[in-house]
Amino acid sequence: MIPVSVVTGFLGAGKTTLLRRVLSDPAWADSAVVVNEFGEVALDHELLAASEEVLVNVSTGCLCCLVRTDLGTTLMDLARRRAAGEVPAYRRVLVETSGLADPAPILHALMTEAAVAETHRLHSVVTLVDAVLGPVVLERHPEARWQVMLADRVLVTKPDLGDAAAAERAVQALQPGLDVRAAERGAAEPAWLFAPGEPAVPQEAVARHSEGVGSILIEREAPVAALALTLWMQALAEHAGAKLLRLKGLAALAEEPARPMVVHAVQHLVHPPEWLAEWPGGERRTRIVLIGQGIPRHFPARLLAAIEAEVATA
Amino acid sequence: MTPPELRDLLADALVLWEVAGRVAVAEGGVVLEGLGLRVVAADGDELPIRWWIERPGHRRPCTSISGLLRGLRNAVGAGEGEARRLRVAGA
Repeated sequence: MIPVSVVTGFLGAGKTTLLRRVLSDPAWADSAVVVNEFGEVALDHELLAASEEVLVNVSTGCLCCLVRTDLGTTLMDLARRRAAGEVPAYRRVLVETSGLADPAPILHALMTEAAVAETHRLHSVVTLVDAVLGPVVLERHPEARWQVMLADRVLVTKPDLGDAAAAERAVQALQPGLDVRAAERGAAEPAWLFAPGEPAVPQEAVARHSEGVGSILIEREAPVAALALTLWMQALAEHAGAKLLRLKGLAALAEEPARPMVVHAVQHLVHPPEWLAEWPGGERRTRIVLIGQGIPRHFPARLLAAIEAEVATA
Repeated sequence: MTPPELRDLLADALVLWEVAGRVAVAEGGVVLEGLGLRVVAADGDELPIRWWIERPGHRRPCTSISGLLRGLRNAVGAGEGEARRLRVAGA
């Protein structure tokens, strides 16, 4: 499986600067880079592949399933050329999104196109937030907020020019507990940036909200039945619809309580279940974060409790 | 599930569906005030039916909380709305 990391961030956040810096590191030079906006940048790298955006509607007909088919085509073409020895054997793919992009369709493309999903694995979503304009941009532009809400980690750029602490506060208001660091001129540690995404679980039971957007933490001390968890996620997808942006965390299943199951969904699209070898920090309990807009804060927990009770008596 | 728990869950659901209304505990279940609906817990010997959605002259059985929410959503006219089916990546 070829790991794919998505680098996103609003216009001028410093995505290209970051990628140039990363590619200049010999340990990371074996990365293929796909720029999701044709002509936006011209990275001097032999593996650069630019893809022109083409939107197509797939069978489910919902907006978040409009996929950028050329991204999938580009990834598969690169993989074919890699296998044929036509390009160096890159070890990972970095996708740079358009500054105005909602990353969700890109993540959906990576997760739903069968050929891509069989050969590539979405590793992480890295979002850049500019310390100078970031807080204002996050306030004014929903695309910028989606970029933060879908991130596994955030890099605050230009901390030497702006208020990095304010930028971090704005980020944490959207996704509390998120791993946020600052770096000048793209000097971030790639191993941190592109590490596999791990659930960021806030410590607060209910997070701060911004314009109806916020995160909700679901915790369970006792293991949850797999059926209850599945029915809960289905009901959430059904009733929250587009209001549910992301769901991630670790679940202790009654059927397999010794190791945590990674729960990861972008809107209604769920990653196949994965298991960690052991519980991080020894905390054996379910902790799932929902990031959404306009979801009543107690609804997910009440729904899960109702479904658990029902499953227990079935 | 107690009537107050059902009331709280359904009140949240109305907010989520953006439907105006108030939910109150009533005998055997809850009423959705202003919507002409009542939800009553089924008797134990009615299994697999767990809930009844009642409106004047009509009674609909529901076998699960998911079914109850779906039935109510249709009954209050919120329809499918932005409803989505869970989908597994790569499947």
